[in-house]
Amino acid sequence: MNIIVKNILRILILIFAQGLIFGQLPFGFGIHPMIYPLAIVLLPFDTRPVWLLIIAFFIGLSVDFFMNTFGLHASAAVFAAFLRPAIFRRFAPRDDYDLLKEPTASEWGYLWFTKVSASIILFHHFWFFILEYFKFSAWKEIITSTILSSLISLIIFILLQVFFFKKPKSI
Amino acid sequence: MRKLIAFFRRFRVFLVFLILQIIALTTYTSVMSFPRTKFLNSANAFVGQLLTWERNVVKYLYLDEANIELQEKNIALENQLPHNFISIDQKTAIINDTIRMLSFERTNATVINSSHTFRNNYFTINAGTERGVQRKMGVVSNEGVVGIVYDVSKHYALVKSILTEDINISAYIEGINSFGIIKYNGENPKIVSLTGISNDIQIQLGSEVKTRGSGGYFPQGIAIGKIVSIEPIEGEPRWEIGVQLNQDMRSLRYVYVINNILQLELEELEKDIEQLQ
Repeated sequence: MNIIVKNILRILILIFAQGLIFGQLPFGFGIHPMIYPLAIVLLPFDTRPVWLLIIAFFIGLSVDFFMNTFGLHASAAVFAAFLRPAIFRRFAPRDDYDLLKEPTASEWGYLWFTKVSASIILFHHFWFFILEYFKFSAWKEIITSTILSSLISLIIFILLQVFFFKKPKSI
Repeated sequence: MRKLIAFFRRFRVFLVFLILQIIALTTYTSVMSFPRTKFLNSANAFVGQLLTWERNVVKYLYLDEANIELQEKNIALENQLPHNFISIDQKTAIINDTIRMLSFERTNATVINSSHTFRNNYFTINAGTERGVQRKMGVVSNEGVVGIVYDVSKHYALVKSILTEDINISAYIEGINSFGIIKYNGENPKIVSLTGISNDIQIQLGSEVKTRGSGGYFPQGIAIGKIVSIEPIEGEPRWEIGVQLNQDMRSLRYVYVINNILQLELEELEKDIEQLQ
């Protein structure tokens, strides 16, 4: 499948899954798992940083439509996309990335995927909850929400990788 | 000039980041005042349609609960019907009651999208301007107050839930009649706080908190919840009162939108208050 079509489909599926399933689940304890950052993680390696930001902005905006958050998700998604190149560079393998492969766990190993997505999720959620509470005195809520939600999001990310991104058969 | 272009080329990622953040954050913060975010919410037709489909699938899971609730409401209403009452005084005649006048009309609606985990929560209902819903109408459920209509489209309306920081519903404590303002501090979706009650007033745990009806959004005396905690605020002569909501906002399905027929009259009369003060 064409890589662009593939990514657009993936983005749409993740947005709908976020809006119709994960956004509606009542977790309690301030937990608010967000799975759409996975679409930002999985964009091709050679996406230009500017395009990364613009795509992330529209992903976030679409989620905002569902969650009535008026730009909060857009802001957090843009922040995550802004940090993605730096995070990828930080965890690059010794002989750098093969630009033709996709940034999935089956291609680069679960350890790599966990490190990369954990950092992106953590920054994304932290930004999101800081803006949501927007109060220094609520630092306890911000930290617990960030940590618990990040854990749940990360688990969902990895499960999605296990079930939906199987290793293509090598020839 | 070349230097300027070089500068923009060098920092273009950061500039785009900055511009997008500014767009996102201005729409987000403009929510606090009444917004121009006419389309950035789930009262929007396309998302509204999707969420209605989702609710159509999920609603069968809650039929039992809904039935029990309706039955209880039915019983309560039936108990008020005149043929249930036996006339004690045989000589009195029935008088057509013209002393009372209908002031509040209700429109029923179903919640199609809601949240309770955020600091400011909103939910979407499937009744819009076509069914007479307008901005700033009160929304209640069978159990009690749940919010105030915030924005409407043709078929949907977005409701500011009682779990919103600046919801500011005016309420009084049953039996004492001292009144304060309901706010939400974002911690526990079961508890809201009643602020502004002076600490020389004796308050009992378990007292009921009801709407005061100021502003005309709600009739007077609609239940909100019960007092579960009373603590003094340090450095202020006021109580910090925790009110447990009667309506569990995590399982909100069926609501009524309240239309105050006399709202205009009230606003007309009260609009001069600020000048008089």
